[in-house]
Amino acid sequence: MQTENPSVRVWDLPTRIFHWSLATSFVVAFVTSESEKWRDIHVVAGYSLAGLIAFRLLWGFVGGRHSRFADFLPTPGKVLDYLKSLLAGQPRHYVGHNPAGAVAIFLLLACGLIVAASGYATYNEIGGHVMEEVHEAAANGMMALVIIHLAGVVVSSWLHHENLVKAMITGRKQVHHENPAG
Amino acid sequence: MCAIDTLETDMRTSLLIAAILIAASGAGRAETPRDFLTRFEKEAGTAASAERGARFFTAKQGGEWSCASCHGERPTQAGRHAKTDKPITALAPAANAERFTDAAKVDKWFRRNCNDTINRACSAQEKADVLAWLLSLK
Ligand code: HEC
Repeated sequence: MQTENPSVRVWDLPTRIFHWSLATSFVVAFVTSESEKWRDIHVVAGYSLAGLIAFRLLWGFVGGRHSRFADFLPTPGKVLDYLKSLLAGQPRHYVGHNPAGAVAIFLLLACGLIVAASGYATYNEIGGHVMEEVHEAAANGMMALVIIHLAGVVVSSWLHHENLVKAMITGRKQVHHENPAG
Repeated sequence: MCAIDTLETDMRTSLLIAAILIAASGAGRAETPRDFLTRFEKEAGTAASAERGARFFTAKQGGEWSCASCHGERPTQAGRHAKTDKPITALAPAANAERFTDAAKVDKWFRRNCNDTINRACSAQEKADVLAWLLSLK
């Protein structure tokens, strides 16, 4: 008799806490950006975001297997292969991040660093109005990436018949044997 | 031959990039406070009144703050942010040459600060009045 597919641990606890804390601090910073009334909350959210990204950069070298940058470094070749497999309707399955998701993650981290640094500069009046503009442009870019990231989560959950949101909460994924790639 | 071609393309690309950068920075082109006053008066269709501007700037209008809550009653001096307590450099152009010289900055902060103080955008008339008053301060 066939039992349920076994599950494997993919995301370690620090990575999951990081993920949801980063999402929260970004949303809080975004919705408090339009009024001086919320300026202090906005600044606290910004510092949290910066601290979380600093942690993630470190964790990318010493964290659990699938949290390490080396595990999902997206080379152009890997990204192209993955996109081709998507277009062919037979998406390669990755236990960790797929290469397209990996690109989004690195861009999000980079954007977050720019947003935090330019926000710090603006708050402390270093660099003038240009820093304000950089801060807003990078924050909007980050929001665009978040939306793409969310769309990617929905599409790949559907394509791979797995609930990626749940995986980021429990840390576990069911094992499937379709087009395994790593 | 090939090398010269590439060099030429490189130069053309650099020129193009330079042109785009100049055009882009033109969006935030330096203007003078007087240019802004002219613009707001034209949009309002009437002359500005420094007296009305002074009243608008210092009086609370239902909300928690007036403009003076952050920029001070005498904007020739530095103000202090009502929420974060951080100093804000003087708003009057006579005391601070950087004020009202960048359209992007002026429009952005009028939008934000008016929303924070009177819960709506300021009219062109109100902006003209405030600026006329700020310009009258020495
Ligand atoms: C809660 C605090 C606060 C209040 C209230 C406030 N401002 Fe400001 N204002 C700021 C801050 C912060 C800046 C941007 C930092 C800076 O330029 O020093 C700013 C900048 C400006 C600028 C940009 C000028 C320039 O060219 O540099 C203008 C114009 C301005 N405020 C007008 C107003 C007016 C008019 C009101 C009332 C309707 C007002 N502010 C109320 C905090 C405030």
